[in-house]
Amino acid sequence: MGENFEMADREAADDAAFADRIAAPLRAPERAHPSLEKRVMDRVRMEGPALYPQGGDSHESWWWTKRVFEFTPLTGLAVAAGVTAIVALSGVAIGTRIGDRSKDVARITSPVAKPDTIQLVRFVFVDAKASSVELVGDFNEWTKGSTSLKLSGAPGVWVAAVPLQPGRHEYAFIVNGTRWVTDPLAVKSSDDFGTESSVIRVAGSGKSET
Amino acid sequence: MTGSSDAELIASILNGNVDSFSGLVRRHQDACARFAVRMLGSRVDADDVLQSAFMRAFRGLRGCKDPDHFGGWLYQIVVNECRTYASRQRRREQRFPSSASAIEGAVAPGSEQDVDPDVGGHIERALSTLPTDQREAFLLKHVEELTYEEISEMTGVSVSALKMRVKRACDALRGQLDGVYHG
Repeated sequence: MGENFEMADREAADDAAFADRIAAPLRAPERAHPSLEKRVMDRVRMEGPALYPQGGDSHESWWWTKRVFEFTPLTGLAVAAGVTAIVALSGVAIGTRIGDRSKDVARITSPVAKPDTIQLVRFVFVDAKASSVELVGDFNEWTKGSTSLKLSGAPGVWVAAVPLQPGRHEYAFIVNGTRWVTDPLAVKSSDDFGTESSVIRVAGSGKSET
Repeated sequence: MTGSSDAELIASILNGNVDSFSGLVRRHQDACARFAVRMLGSRVDADDVLQSAFMRAFRGLRGCKDPDHFGGWLYQIVVNECRTYASRQRRREQRFPSSASAIEGAVAPGSEQDVDPDVGGHIERALSTLPTDQREAFLLKHVEELTYEEISEMTGVSVSALKMRVKRACDALRGQLDGVYHG
């Protein structure tokens, strides 16, 4: 027994010594390409003013979050019909109400129903200056006017909950009817013309990622 | 702004002074370059990834919860970008490093007599044959010298899985470098 431990210790020490010798030359410093800073800053100066307007972060900040709730197709239809009204009531409470309801449904449905599960994805967009915010994506055929975000209780906070099938979806926001905005924290997708959209992956198990 | 902290630069950017981002790029680009070059085995690919990572960081700056530790947050983005890039490249022809000269010129402290001039190139070639997950774990542990806990937090992979990846990477490297690396 003691011999085994001794052997394992010796092996671990050998491994560490070997790894250290292999890694030592790889620790040599690298320099980024001299033009990297310029290339990055050219794009930063192009995109920056829209992302971070002059004058402060407190009243003009905007961000998005997505929260996913799980429910079955039938419930989904019912909830989707009532989403607009529910969403208009309050931000945090909404998630709880729908989330609790989802859990109830999940308990009475069989796990084999999972592949058919629809996810309710909650999009939140914050922009104190926006007068209207819409959500467009492959789930609504990119049709303007089909999914409007509503102002929640907090100033400048726009929300919408959208039932989505599991899988990959692309989306974007339209602010004030003209300005298309992608999610800076989400994976980007670009079409043949270079137009960017954001990507969300809705899993069947209730998890999603951007 | 060169003397400003990361947090001060970030506050300035969020206030609309986007030129302050150049201070962050200048400060962190070389540290990120080392991991990206080693991970991808190509300076050209690493350069693409770094540009993409810095832009991702810029666009998501409000998501940096702890501006004093911007470097760690950025590093996490670079690791993820490298992973995405490597997975796209997996089916392409394997690339060999263009950084062999830098590696050849590097000398491990106290081990000059162990390293022959071509060993650096051999090591990078051997590294490039490892599966992406093993290469990433080996580099983060032994080249970037992070703890398993730090790597786990950064990658979302459990400590035990990381240890196994590093162990397998070491075994594979040992098998490939046997006879090249003396001792």
